Amino acid sequence: MSERAELIVQDAGPLTTVQDLGRVGYLRVGIPTSGPMDRDAFVLANRLVGNGDDAAGLECTLLGPRVEFPDERLVAVTGAEMAPTLNGSPVPAWQGLRVKAGDVLRLGPARSGVRAYLAVAGGLETPPVLGSRSTFVRGQLGGIDGRALRKGDRLPLGAVPAARPRRVPPDRVPAYGTEAEVAVVLGPQDDRFTPAGIAAFLGGPYELLPQSDRMGARLKGPFIEHTRGHDIVSDGVPMGGIQVIGEGQPIVLLADRQSAGGYTKVATVCSFDLGRIAQLKPGGRLHFRRVTVTEAHAMLRDSRRALDAAIE
Amino acid sequence: MTIWPEPRLLPCGDRAVSVELGDEVNRELNARVLALEYLLQQAKLPGVGETVPTYRALLVYYDPLVIGYDALTAALRELYARARPEVLPPARTVELPCCYDHELGFELEAAAQKLGLPPDEVARLHAGADYYVYFVGFTPGLPYMTGMPEQLTIPRLTNPRTKTPPGSVSIGGIQCCIYPIESPGGFWVLGRTPVRLYDPTAPDPILLRAGDHVRFRAIDRAEYDALAARVAGGRYAPKISVGATAQ
Repeated sequence: MSERAELIVQDAGPLTTVQDLGRVGYLRVGIPTSGPMDRDAFVLANRLVGNGDDAAGLECTLLGPRVEFPDERLVAVTGAEMAPTLNGSPVPAWQGLRVKAGDVLRLGPARSGVRAYLAVAGGLETPPVLGSRSTFVRGQLGGIDGRALRKGDRLPLGAVPAARPRRVPPDRVPAYGTEAEVAVVLGPQDDRFTPAGIAAFLGGPYELLPQSDRMGARLKGPFIEHTRGHDIVSDGVPMGGIQVIGEGQPIVLLADRQSAGGYTKVATVCSFDLGRIAQLKPGGRLHFRRVTVTEAHAMLRDSRRALDAAIE
Repeated sequence: MTIWPEPRLLPCGDRAVSVELGDEVNRELNARVLALEYLLQQAKLPGVGETVPTYRALLVYYDPLVIGYDALTAALRELYARARPEVLPPARTVELPCCYDHELGFELEAAAQKLGLPPDEVARLHAGADYYVYFVGFTPGLPYMTGMPEQLTIPRLTNPRTKTPPGSVSIGGIQCCIYPIESPGGFWVLGRTPVRLYDPTAPDPILLRAGDHVRFRAIDRAEYDALAARVAGGRYAPKISVGATAQ
């Protein structure tokens, strides 16, 4: 009897979730997009195994899972360096690997970066909820029962697409250090800060605090001075929006963020640089670099070109 | 009330822009925001993505590889010129049963003391009002509403709770809100509705929408328990009528 192929979770790691490119259409009622925190690494994992960009895979945080494969297929690991092993032997990340039935892939603690992605040819076929398989833990939505994976979970796999193993050559693999610079566009409430406040913000650096999560990156650094208080009439919170709260400290709002809020936002991190924040470890230092909208759009084009050229 | 003659277009990074129409909480201003969103959805401009209406601004996500910033902002200004409340479809009124007993409305007595009113009077005044939903968000399905009589204006809690049970009907400032999922909260909890405002397993997971009117119907504990059982079994839908009540 042939059952549906399932990936078996032998060990889950502290926060391993099913993600696809996200849930679109529900921000206006307060449901965030979710999806991978490092979109480029996620998309490359899918492309390495011949999946479409939106196929669901695993996002593994700080310590990876141990999973068993049911049959022969391509798999790929990208993102944070978690020293993958297959049946106990080291295997390379950033390339398609052919696994067989019963093979066990293990990801260890992150040596550099924070979030690794595991793509399996055919994608994970957990039930889509509101058009997406992405897990939103706070809203108990998507993935498996809206929660992080647990030991013993079984994830249904899709049909294997025809593909040959490919790789991202070593010189195109991103290096995740203890420092990162991200492009920001000032606003929407930059007029609520003093020139000294804006200068402090752009001068940085800001240390990433351990309380950071998929909702937001909490930062500590130079005091960002307001002109007249931090409260505004609540408005929409854009992806990458940088809220500055009472103590003059910034929070970058990310994939699982609240849809609206009542705090001033000094600037917004550009979409193509959000992955750098996702891969910065607690204690790492972040610098903000001001760009115009026009510059940001040119940089977005460059970043898409680099992504499309990353795989050989 | 001030609605700015020209909208302020504020960039939010490389993929979103905030269209700010004013800087206060009032229904006329919010109706303009909803009208602009409605016209933008109707226009189906390629490259325009999700929209997030709030009190006085519309956040518009876009794909800059499809529509440029200048073309987008020009289109938004043009649509704004026509964004009047009259373009919106008729509003809905949603009736929510609410139990004001002291166990579910665990801050009713404290709030009453703060307001200098008897608890029954607070519950009666609260249940008697017509509420308007400016927008839905923060957490999934949470409505931002006003409409309470002035006697119920109350400062927010000085020490916000870390956990508020789902369905809690609460007040703070001039606002009323209902917590759809367990969350922290700084509003006074007066009662609880058995109706689910957010049900991730339902095809349409969110009950309330921006522009809706909400009326509460006071129920006793026995009716609350009976309705809660029906809600749990998927055998209860709140009464929804189309056409706004008098404002």
